[in-house]
Amino acid sequence: MRHSVNRPPTPDAAEDQENVPTLQEIINIKLIESGEKERLMELLRERLTECGWKDEMKTLCRAFIKKKGRNNVTVDELVHVITPKGRASVPDSVKGELLQRIRTFLNSAAL
Amino acid sequence: MSASREDNTSSDAQLSPHFRDLLDSIIVDIASECHRIAKLGLDRNLEDEEEELRLSTQARVRAADPSNSGETNSKYVVDIFGQTHPPVANEIFDCMNCGRSIMAGRFATHLEKCMGKGRKARSKAARSSTAAQNRYSRGSPASTYSPYSNSTSKNRLSNGSTGVAGEELSNGTSEEP
Repeated sequence: MRHSVNRPPTPDAAEDQENVPTLQEIINIKLIESGEKERLMELLRERLTECGWKDEMKTLCRAFIKKKGRNNVTVDELVHVITPKGRASVPDSVKGELLQRIRTFLNSAAL
Repeated sequence: MSASREDNTSSDAQLSPHFRDLLDSIIVDIASECHRIAKLGLDRNLEDEEEELRLSTQARVRAADPSNSGETNSKYVVDIFGQTHPPVANEIFDCMNCGRSIMAGRFATHLEKCMGKGRKARSKAARSSTAAQNRYSRGSPASTYSPYSNSTSKNRLSNGSTGVAGEELSNGTSEEP
């Protein structure tokens, strides 16, 4: 048999050690490839809008814009303004539902 | 059961980065949307909002003011711009159909009668509408299409629009499907 048939698969061993995907990365890839990430995103968007969270965030943005002046605001600043409050004020039920969906998906994807 | 609860919390720690990812994306979307609205000035000016708040509190005070109470005391109600309107619009103009002088608030009623008339009220309109009903009726016993059997016409009419079926039958031609 040709020696080439038995050659190690690319990437070679040296690269392998740098690029072993972490569990998180594997999960992320599985989520994206199956399209589940998109679905989860839409579900989360819907839930956050229903419960008024989105409106709260928009109000925070508007208050900040009003204070700083319309033309002195960057997207980055807005993100920094609403991220801490946003992460903290997601209702537990919404977070629970999403985590449960992810868990179910991973179980069914036989990870 | 406690074992599974532990499983849940430890896997939560594994799963919440993904949740956080999703949440961060949504946050960036919202920030970007608000930024756009602010830059394009699509949101009503923030100064205008304060002005409107002031005006609305003023109006509320005026409305609560007993000297202004509207419908029961005076004939005219004061609206938020301080204007008064009579209950029936009283501008007078000429009807373009019959040429009479009509009051604006009575114009709709007048038109109903005015445009429906040849001589008698609504006779012309009534005649043409019942004629249309007869032409397009579905297999009614009073149908004018007696040459055709009831079942045939019913089949025809159940297939297509009444308009098409009606025209075919009235022409005296029949096309079997």
